Amino acid sequence: MFTPEGMTRVLIAATKSQMEPVIREMYRQHLFHIEEFVEKDKKEYEGYRIGTPLPQANETSRELLRLRGINNAFMIRDEEEETGERRKHAQLTELIERELPPLEQEVEDLLSRRSRLDSQIKEYEQKIDGLKPFNSVPFDLELLRDYQTFSVFCGYISRDLSLDIPHEIFTTESKKERFIVLVVSNQHRSIAEHALQNAQFQAVPLPEETGPATNRIGYYEGQVLSVKGEFEEINRRLEEIKKQHKAFFLACNELLTSDVEMAEAPLRFATTGESFIVEGWVPTKELDTFRQGIHYATGGKVYVYELDQSEVEDVAPTEYHNVSFAKPTELLMDTYSRPRYSELDPTLLVSIIFPIFFGIILGDVGYGIILLVLSLGLRKFITGDEGKRLLNVLRNASISSIIFGILFSECFGFALPWSSILFSRHLNIGGHAGGHGPDVTSLMMMAIWIGILQITLGRMLGMANHARQDHGSHRIKAVMANLGWIMVLWGILFMLWAAFPMPLMPDFTELPGVVMGLNLSSILGIVLILLGVIFIVRDSALEIVELPTILSHTLSYARLVGVGLSSVAIAMVVNFIAIGLIIEPQLESLTAFGVIVIIMGALVFVIGHLLNTILGMLGGGLQSLRLQYVEFFTKFYKGGGKKYTPFGMKKRFLED
Amino acid sequence: MADAATAVATTEMTVEMIKASQIGMKALGASIAVGSTGIATGLAEMAIGSAAVGATAENKDVFGLVLLLTVIPETIVIFGLVVALLLLF
Repeated sequence: MFTPEGMTRVLIAATKSQMEPVIREMYRQHLFHIEEFVEKDKKEYEGYRIGTPLPQANETSRELLRLRGINNAFMIRDEEEETGERRKHAQLTELIERELPPLEQEVEDLLSRRSRLDSQIKEYEQKIDGLKPFNSVPFDLELLRDYQTFSVFCGYISRDLSLDIPHEIFTTESKKERFIVLVVSNQHRSIAEHALQNAQFQAVPLPEETGPATNRIGYYEGQVLSVKGEFEEINRRLEEIKKQHKAFFLACNELLTSDVEMAEAPLRFATTGESFIVEGWVPTKELDTFRQGIHYATGGKVYVYELDQSEVEDVAPTEYHNVSFAKPTELLMDTYSRPRYSELDPTLLVSIIFPIFFGIILGDVGYGIILLVLSLGLRKFITGDEGKRLLNVLRNASISSIIFGILFSECFGFALPWSSILFSRHLNIGGHAGGHGPDVTSLMMMAIWIGILQITLGRMLGMANHARQDHGSHRIKAVMANLGWIMVLWGILFMLWAAFPMPLMPDFTELPGVVMGLNLSSILGIVLILLGVIFIVRDSALEIVELPTILSHTLSYARLVGVGLSSVAIAMVVNFIAIGLIIEPQLESLTAFGVIVIIMGALVFVIGHLLNTILGMLGGGLQSLRLQYVEFFTKFYKGGGKKYTPFGMKKRFLED
Repeated sequence: MADAATAVATTEMTVEMIKASQIGMKALGASIAVGSTGIATGLAEMAIGSAAVGATAENKDVFGLVLLLTVIPETIVIFGLVVALLLLF
């Protein structure tokens, strides 16, 4: 539960003739995590080379590439598709040879025709764009070009044009711009150009067309329509093919992908002329199944050897081994870093503590219910594995939020019919909450206690981790150093208890003094701190600069209260503005205008609480996550484990 | 304190007025505590946040780590909030 899945290092050696059956069996079992072979100067691997892919690799990957191109065009993504009826392997292989090529040919033809039509449409549309300025020009376009003695200017001007040379001009004005066609004789060309420049002239190229522009535009629009019709026809046909053959494409993709992966597996093996070796990891509890499978598949012609953990340099990959309640939290662990194989896996602890912290921060029945509904409702729309896990985490957190809401007696910032079972968080905003206001000191002390306990737990886990991982004299030193941190923390506490009476903490101020006015508690505190510092320094003297983090990390847990109270405050302010300031005064003497104001007030209420829900979810989630990551994990957790990725795939569209 | 005493002497404030002004002073103190620490946190997170976004764009795997680094200065404003709450209640 607190350790990852046990792994055993396995070495497989056989002649090359057994390569294919071994690969097939490994792929089928989906258990063997291959350690990739790297050609280096390791003594035991002298003379070994990286293997070459199986002979069919080239052809299969070409086929796969083609199929993926089509799947892309159809926007078929296998991870998003529901698993339907599974197909038989042998049957599908035959179908791939017989039916897939003509189908692919058809789709490719359709696609290339579609892209041709698409570019044609673009071309026509460009022509229409070029013709548009000439839309209201009443003469044929060919009359505007090919003159030897005249110059023709077409374009937009934004100022008035003044010309004192002989010219002919056609002007058409729209709301925003003025379009002109100007004809002058060549000898006046430069004067005309100068005048046009003053009028901020922007030239428009003359289209290479004949006849009036309106006619040409009409013609091209007709063309676009007819091409678009054809385009739609192709799309319809493609859609038909997609509908009819989608399951087939998905199954083919799976089959070819697995074939390619198998064919390329030797690239991760160590080979000689006639034999091959592959090393990897198998979950210890599956070892017998794996061994028997390989034995059966090859008729016992393969040598499977279990290596001792101490014989290998590489670290085993990590596969979580948690109860199903803690599974969704693995996502939060992966976000930080996957635990190393030799390390304690705190997933279960986090899966319990995280929702509790979330609940303490956002302890409100109303918000809890909204988030619970959200986490259950979004399940339909979020299909990915990670998304589902996140929703499960949110579900647990929102249930905890409801429970703490009942304990704090809060629902959308209003008090529930009972008074808080835990400490009160009701603020006096707008005179809404009666009583004595929030019990901040007790709340703070509660948060600090949570901090002290979690940090102590973290250090204890640190001791366990060092005891498991380290060797020799360093092991004892590291364990003692972690004990030292606990001692300093509790030493400070004993000294504080001796000096100040504090709520929710033991009060040792009344103890009789022993020496120099110090009582037993302070002496115990001093001894603990001194011993603790000695233990810490013995492991690493530099750690001494980290001593203040004892205080800052413990006080950091005050955020459980601080962030929580701020969310309560926002909720109460929203209630006060919406109900106390907007709705209630109108209710005293109801008018038609008053009804509108009341609706506005209701809107303020809804939007305010919506925003606060989002803020509360982000604040509650991030802050409690941060307490795990920064304050808890830094005490014992390193992470950086390799993910266990067994060779093979989970079949979704094929029969096993 | 001396100022407060002279103020009382010169303007002859009633006890209620003094109490009210003390509440006001507390509220001002609380607001300074939250406001200034908020600015400090913002300044600290500014640089970390932009670097974090850059790092995430390069390599998505570091998202968890940089999120963590980004919220570290949050502690400053939390302390401010704690001081403010203790002042007010």
